[in-house]
Amino acid sequence: MWGDSLLIVFISICTAFLGEGLTWILVYRTEKYQKLKVEVERQSKKLEKRKEAHGDSLDKQHKKKIEREEERLKNNNRDLSLVKMKSMFAIGFAFTALLSMFNSIFDGRVVAKLPFHPISWVQGLSHRNLPGEDYTDCSFIFLYILCTMSIRQNIQKLLGFAPSRAASKQGGALFAAPSTQFK
Amino acid sequence: MSNKNKTSDGGIKNKSSETLWKKAFTANADWPDKEEFLDVIYWMRQAIGIVLGLCWGLLPLKGFIGLLLFVVVNAAVVFIYVNNFQNVDEEEYGGMWEITKEGFMTSFAGFLVTWIITYTGLHGNENL
Repeated sequence: MWGDSLLIVFISICTAFLGEGLTWILVYRTEKYQKLKVEVERQSKKLEKRKEAHGDSLDKQHKKKIEREEERLKNNNRDLSLVKMKSMFAIGFAFTALLSMFNSIFDGRVVAKLPFHPISWVQGLSHRNLPGEDYTDCSFIFLYILCTMSIRQNIQKLLGFAPSRAASKQGGALFAAPSTQFK
Repeated sequence: MSNKNKTSDGGIKNKSSETLWKKAFTANADWPDKEEFLDVIYWMRQAIGIVLGLCWGLLPLKGFIGLLLFVVVNAAVVFIYVNNFQNVDEEEYGGMWEITKEGFMTSFAGFLVTWIITYTGLHGNENL
């Protein structure tokens, strides 16, 4: 059982690197993406500063300026997500296939023992395709999701691919909080 | 991200990460770059998550109390670090809540993974 859990951690490290590598080849290294990213970051920071400086003022001119900049940032953000989207779809498909392959390999196998009883809506994941009623048995998919959540995000941050805080904050305000956490 | 600028030059990267380490462990350090401070909080959180996961697995701590203790200890360490060690003005970062949120989910996932794996390795067969 322990071997299985460690294998899953290893698999998720590999898939995280593979995913980031593929995204780098398809997206991050392209000139268009780099230009847009720099632009979005610059604009987000500028906008944040401007909002901080004139946050409470009711000056119409300032408001208009801020609105105009928000509009520009919105457009750039949209372009950026468009650049990302195509390759994300391709990678998404590849990973779904990979995931279903691993899923069938580990089908019905208890890969770990949970030190707690998961709440009912998590049990569907943590006890997926497992026999018996012992809900501390952990399925492949639950451990894999947890590993991916922590490992992928940290790798993105280490490699410098994670979106900057200013950009995601502004992006969140503009697009009603798109979650970058669980990509 | 600031990492990107650093990676373009290995020398700069080493130097800046060295000073960042020093700064992180210096009381009342000056943080002109907010991102840097939030990065320190982020990585500190990840380290706490893994260390606590290991401890809880070794003890072993079981059940809801383990999860609750993690949340409490994690928040408390960050709170003490920000307010008593570094003494930064939390309003500059959008309030204590923003700092408390920084990297929490990732750290929680990391904690769960290490807790589950250590527990499985050491105590997994006892219940079978």
